[in-house]
Amino acid sequence: MEPAPNTMPRKRSKGGYLLRLLLDIRREWDLYLLLVPGILFLLLFKYTPMYGIIIAFKDFNIFAGFADSPWVGGKHFAKLFTSPDFAIVLRNTIIISLLKIVILFPLPIIIALMLNELRKMVFKRTVQTIIYLPHFLSWVIVAGLFIDLLSTDGGLVNKLLTSLGLQQISFFLDNSVFRSVLITSAGWKETGWSTIVYLAAFSMIDPSLYEAAKMDGASKLRQLWHVTLPGIAPIIVLMFILRLGNILEAGTEQILVMYNPVVYKVSDVIGTYVYRMGLGNQDYSFTTAVGMFEAVISFTLVIVGNSLSRKYLQRGIW
Amino acid sequence: MSNLEQASPSNAAAGASAGIRMSVGEKLFAVFNYTFFILMGIITILPFLNLIAKSFSSEEAVIAGRVGLLPIGFQWGTYQYVLQDNMFLNALKISVLLTVIGTALSLLLTTITAYPLSKPRLRGRKPLLLLFIFTMLFSGGLIPTYLLMQNLGLVNTLPVLFLPAMVNVFNMLIIKNYFEGLPDALEESAKLDGAGNFRILLMIILPLSTPVMATIGLFFAVAFWNDYFASMIYITNPALKPLQLYLKELFVSSTGDFLKDNIDAALNTTPQSIQASSILLATVPILLVYPFLQKYFVKGVLVGSVKG
Repeated sequence: MEPAPNTMPRKRSKGGYLLRLLLDIRREWDLYLLLVPGILFLLLFKYTPMYGIIIAFKDFNIFAGFADSPWVGGKHFAKLFTSPDFAIVLRNTIIISLLKIVILFPLPIIIALMLNELRKMVFKRTVQTIIYLPHFLSWVIVAGLFIDLLSTDGGLVNKLLTSLGLQQISFFLDNSVFRSVLITSAGWKETGWSTIVYLAAFSMIDPSLYEAAKMDGASKLRQLWHVTLPGIAPIIVLMFILRLGNILEAGTEQILVMYNPVVYKVSDVIGTYVYRMGLGNQDYSFTTAVGMFEAVISFTLVIVGNSLSRKYLQRGIW
Repeated sequence: MSNLEQASPSNAAAGASAGIRMSVGEKLFAVFNYTFFILMGIITILPFLNLIAKSFSSEEAVIAGRVGLLPIGFQWGTYQYVLQDNMFLNALKISVLLTVIGTALSLLLTTITAYPLSKPRLRGRKPLLLLFIFTMLFSGGLIPTYLLMQNLGLVNTLPVLFLPAMVNVFNMLIIKNYFEGLPDALEESAKLDGAGNFRILLMIILPLSTPVMATIGLFFAVAFWNDYFASMIYITNPALKPLQLYLKELFVSSTGDFLKDNIDAALNTTPQSIQASSILLATVPILLVYPFLQKYFVKGVLVGSVKG
């Protein structure tokens, strides 16, 4: 890129930048043209709803539309923070999300480490093929599978229980068990896939590091600790930050297709609540406030998480 | 997948000293390991087995709850029924349409957006990237998006199911990364020959990008095929319901209300075995595409998440 002919003292003025921008556009207009559809789509489908978030501060009325609905300031947010219903929803969201993180985050890493130790390649490849199949199924299909598996009407699990002399469990109607169903089915669906991701990360580690460690007499365990884990630390940190930032998303798509009124008390999360109250009951303004609450917190968490990680671990998402 | 086998302590050990004897501890671990994965494989397949058995079993056996891992009273009437059911076939058609159109358009849009953004010389690149990436961190939420679609008159149309999804920043970044990895020399020599940017993109960059196109294409295709949420909130017209939504309504209505009116009583099939057949039939397309998915997805994940 040739510098523009410059006979004036160098100015970092906006006017200068704009001029150079326009000159560039004139020169490579086809490049900029390619960007136009993408930007338009982005502005329309992503940024317009962000503007629409202002209805969280209004009493939205379909007929008045966005602009003319009456302004009510923080009324909906006050309701949000004092509503007992929302307290339950928030509690469920955090509990389910934390359970998923604690149980389902380390699991694929451990499994990938074990998988890495398999020497029979045919076996290893077969296992891989099988375990990440569920990732490609929709939640509708997964729910269908689990509803059948756990049914009280001839489902395999209950059959096993009764044959062992135990009582049947109504998995989808039992408040003390339902969360486990959510976590188990989520694990069944996603663990295989996450394992493959970590496995791929292992392959990025320089093999000579292992050989050097072996030369120094390192046992398998030490190799793990000093070569493997540090090698995949960046990707673990990345995944973890993203997962934490997303803590308020506890699996809306999954829960929507698996829950029912009987288990709302333990499984209604922010996403499902917004869907049911918002689109179902048409309580638009309030649920937009809820949605905004979630978006702001997630955004903050990711930013903070990334800054902390950059400060203490010298690595972040960007 | 061969490079996944290289870096591991055991392989390094095997390489450094061939013919090494395994200690007792290592042998035990190996036994445990193989057993563990056999179990894991079984656990993965298990939920399918019962469903498959039920779909091939007679109605009375299913109702009586007698069906375990093997069919009882073998029949395949339920499959015939489902494959001739107009509602099922229509839903299938919609899903195929949505997936094909959605994937093609999405791939087109993300590619032409990724290309300029992969050029460091692009003025305004950083702010633009920020503009795109910001949408990955913050969004307006469900209700404002829904209201927007309403205002645009897109509710209950097919485009609403792919238009918003077309601008997928994550996928775009993956493609951008890939483009950045291509040697500059190619483009430079083309420019010397007087080629414009469109030409370069079309004639040089794209032919070299088949791996990433295949990967991202598959990402999009699987997402469109599996989506039920977007169709659930925007589609009430039965003629426009894609497969996943159709399936969902199949067993949500079976656990609560009663048989749908179009079930042929003469076939004597229960909601359960029809459910089972429907679910399994919906799984078939994924299984068919699976070998391709395997090949390209792992590569894609590598490029995407590790490079960030």
